[in-house]
Amino acid sequence: MNAQQIDQQTLLKDEKDPLTHTPVHLLSLENVGKHYGNIIALRDVTMAVDNGRVTCVLGDNGAGKSTLIKIIAGLHQHDEGTLHVMGDARKFSSPREALDAGIATVYQDLAVVPLMPIWRNFFLGSELTSGFGPFKSMDVQKMKDITKKELADMGIDLRDVEQPIGQLSGGERQCVAIARAVYFGAKVLILDEPTAALGVKQSGVVLRYILQARDRGLGVIFITHNPHHAFPVGDRFLLLKRGKSIGYYDKKDITLDELTAQMAGGAELAELAHELEQLGGHSDALEEVKAEVAGVADAAPESPSKKH
Amino acid sequence: MAKFSWRTAAVVAAVVPLVALSACSSQGGKPADSGGGAAAGQVASTDRIKIALITHAPPGDTFWDTVRKGAEEAAAKDNVELLYTSDAEAGRQAQLIQQAVDQKVDGIAVTLATPDALKDSLKKATEAGIPIVSLNAGESVSKQLGAFTHFGSNEKLAGEAVGERLAAENFKHPICVIQAQGHVGLEARCAGVKAKVPGTEILYVNGADMTSVESTATAKLQASKDADVIIGLGAPITLTLIKSVSTAGSSAKVASFDLNKELAQKIADGGVLFTVDQQPWLQGYGAIDAIWQNKRGGFTIGGGQSVLTGPAIIDKANATDVLKFAEQGIR
Amino acid sequence: MTMTPTAAKPIAADERVGQRNPLQKLLGRPEVGALVGAVVLFIFFASVSQTFIQPNAFATVLYGSSTIGIMAVGVSLLMIGGEFDLSTGVAVISSALTASLFSWYFTTNVWVGVILALAVSLGIGLINGWILVKTKLPSFIVTLASFLMLTGLNLGLTRLIGGSVSSPSISNMDGFDSAQAVFASSVSIGGVDVKITVFIWIALVAVASWILLRTRVGNWIFAVGGDANAARAVGVPVTKTKIGLFMAVGFCGWILGMHNLFAFDSVQSGEGVGNEFLYIIAAVIGGCLLTGGYGSAVGGAIGAFIFGMANKGIVYAQWNPDWFKFFLGLMLLLATIVNLIVKRRAELK
Repeated sequence: MNAQQIDQQTLLKDEKDPLTHTPVHLLSLENVGKHYGNIIALRDVTMAVDNGRVTCVLGDNGAGKSTLIKIIAGLHQHDEGTLHVMGDARKFSSPREALDAGIATVYQDLAVVPLMPIWRNFFLGSELTSGFGPFKSMDVQKMKDITKKELADMGIDLRDVEQPIGQLSGGERQCVAIARAVYFGAKVLILDEPTAALGVKQSGVVLRYILQARDRGLGVIFITHNPHHAFPVGDRFLLLKRGKSIGYYDKKDITLDELTAQMAGGAELAELAHELEQLGGHSDALEEVKAEVAGVADAAPESPSKKH
Repeated sequence: MAKFSWRTAAVVAAVVPLVALSACSSQGGKPADSGGGAAAGQVASTDRIKIALITHAPPGDTFWDTVRKGAEEAAAKDNVELLYTSDAEAGRQAQLIQQAVDQKVDGIAVTLATPDALKDSLKKATEAGIPIVSLNAGESVSKQLGAFTHFGSNEKLAGEAVGERLAAENFKHPICVIQAQGHVGLEARCAGVKAKVPGTEILYVNGADMTSVESTATAKLQASKDADVIIGLGAPITLTLIKSVSTAGSSAKVASFDLNKELAQKIADGGVLFTVDQQPWLQGYGAIDAIWQNKRGGFTIGGGQSVLTGPAIIDKANATDVLKFAEQGIR
Repeated sequence: MTMTPTAAKPIAADERVGQRNPLQKLLGRPEVGALVGAVVLFIFFASVSQTFIQPNAFATVLYGSSTIGIMAVGVSLLMIGGEFDLSTGVAVISSALTASLFSWYFTTNVWVGVILALAVSLGIGLINGWILVKTKLPSFIVTLASFLMLTGLNLGLTRLIGGSVSSPSISNMDGFDSAQAVFASSVSIGGVDVKITVFIWIALVAVASWILLRTRVGNWIFAVGGDANAARAVGVPVTKTKIGLFMAVGFCGWILGMHNLFAFDSVQSGEGVGNEFLYIIAAVIGGCLLTGGYGSAVGGAIGAFIFGMANKGIVYAQWNPDWFKFFLGLMLLLATIVNLIVKRRAELK
């Protein structure tokens, strides 16, 4: 394996991050683990997030990605290891606590309440109020104006912030959620598979917002199973498989091909090519898989490849 | 509204008893001594027997409360262990009879509101040699189902008694208020009234909701300007109708069936014309006592006929006499 | 796609979606279906019955509506919050019984009982909500259980304390007159006596609408009903909101319970069973989604008004009441279908 794994120590010593003035990470995990009863959902995961950097968490379904973000977002608590935020060991008991620590999460499926208007969603949980005591009411006009402006700043032009957010496209909804997190001063932004259900163009739009958030100085955790989405925007890559870390790389130490190979596993792709060949007829698909297998073989010559 | 503070709760919890101690009402409330109960008298020297009283009473009905009090008093006097059960649903009432048979009771007093549903269970009781007395409802089928006598008032007769009285006082257009749509006994009462006063109209209300009783009756009185009397088929309903009459600004008088303390007071005060009482206490007392008599010496009261406990008309003339018994909850 | 001249403005409007005109916006409101139904029903009864539109008769209709409507306010909020409560009907009676039995037994000023009843009503809501959020059982089960328990407690405690199945009359006790003035008096408007419950009802609807549309709590109510997980994830106190909603229902139950008590002096312990469905029906007719996240307090009020009109209108029109329940069911079905169609139309445009 020619990709060089990074660990916490090397990062701490060597990293020269223009945005990080202190030797501590914005957020870091050391050997974090979580089990539900006797089922181990996650073990021994180490990663770090810094300002103006994108840390990508890659893995297939069931790899433990959602458990990982739930721990960081405060929905679950880890059983092993430590979670540091700005150098302090923390264990969040509620999403509110995580939010207060500056960690905002944009979920793939539950980012928003579909029946509620955009502006209500934008400010949900952090509504602006005026007045005092029991007569505190929401500053509706201001909230609408801010929503409109913030979305426009992110390049989203919405006609009517009164419309239910459920009427927006998946990409637009993700963008509203990202804009919201940015507006509320999140330091760490967790994006849970934001591109999973989107088409090519929509995915591109979302990736651009990720970069925008990064450029504003946020630390971004980008969860995905698509290395093609992760590689262009990511600075570090954590690969998960069956609840375990199978690699943690700096961008300079890994190529897209290597990343893809690590993700897919060369052997499995070769097997797929073999099956397709036997079935016959799927020549296009076959060529594609073969090309991938070739790429995998080049990138990871030490991985056992099957003859066919 | 949506916030709950434990501190507020604690303050409320601490303050309420304090306020309670310092804010006594100068009148009303629970009497200091509620007077002698039923168990004060002498007890019969016969062996202790077990009698089941099984009714179709819906929960929380004052009428059945009085029936039960009568039965309890008879039981106390006759050295009887009274097993009181009730279920408004016919099938489950039949199961209660079955259970009483299984418990090998010495007698069963039962209401026959739904004779067909109870037929089989009662047959088993007869086969087991358990004497049966029926009460309240089911006069016509009582003997056929194995009861040796029946204590009750005929609903139709009671209705006719009301009708006759109204006709005599020259009322032309009564409104008969039924609080449970489709109830056989209540329908029979109104039918009895209608038999004597053809101008009678029936109004259905939801007896489970007094505000709805009031507003629906008000609406009816507003719609029927020529209504001259409105009849409630139960004491609490009648008390509510009095309010409807005043809300609607109607000149209609109020008449009633059944009785309780407040209604007796209203009759004495002249707010209600009269009521027809079927004397529920007597039904409960009579039924239990008849079974005891049967055990004591094989007596059968009524001579094969039912024993009528009503109709007894209570009007301004005798309301004050009845009132003191109503206050004890036996009228 | 052809560009309209308006597209030449500095910020180009999205050409795929036209501006929603005010009428469409109105049609998108949850209560619009109910409003149409109410207008139709009003015109209908006004045309078949002369009495119906007379001020006195209309005051009666409003009174009938208010006794459903007061509870429908709380129940609507709860349904928007994604839960419902089957214990409301008997909880009203529990509240009334608490006030009357406590002040009677201890011979206190009736206001002491009234305050205690408020604590009990809020407590019932608190317990309902607390069990719900702790056990995560559906509200159907939790409140069905409390419905049965309260029914039993009403009957059992009333007999135990008062010695009868109805609470003893408290009309001659201290504080009764002032309490009656607050909860069960009438206000004369131009010679027509209007029950105070009508005004309480309107006030509650106004407060509930304000909370729902203009406060952050309102935002949370929509959110916990629309998607509790999403709401929790963005930091909405879901547990507190739900418990608070059950307590709001308890508060409405307390008001209605006090009205029952002071309008009729005493309370039958077996009353109230079945009324919980009327409140839910009113909320549903008024456009509240059974699944939560959508609806309005005004809708619930219109639902209650429809119920009141139908209930009393049949009497004014001198119809055979045997069919009332059938018409009620039909109306419920039609109202919900109209709601559904109107909502879909509004969203498509």
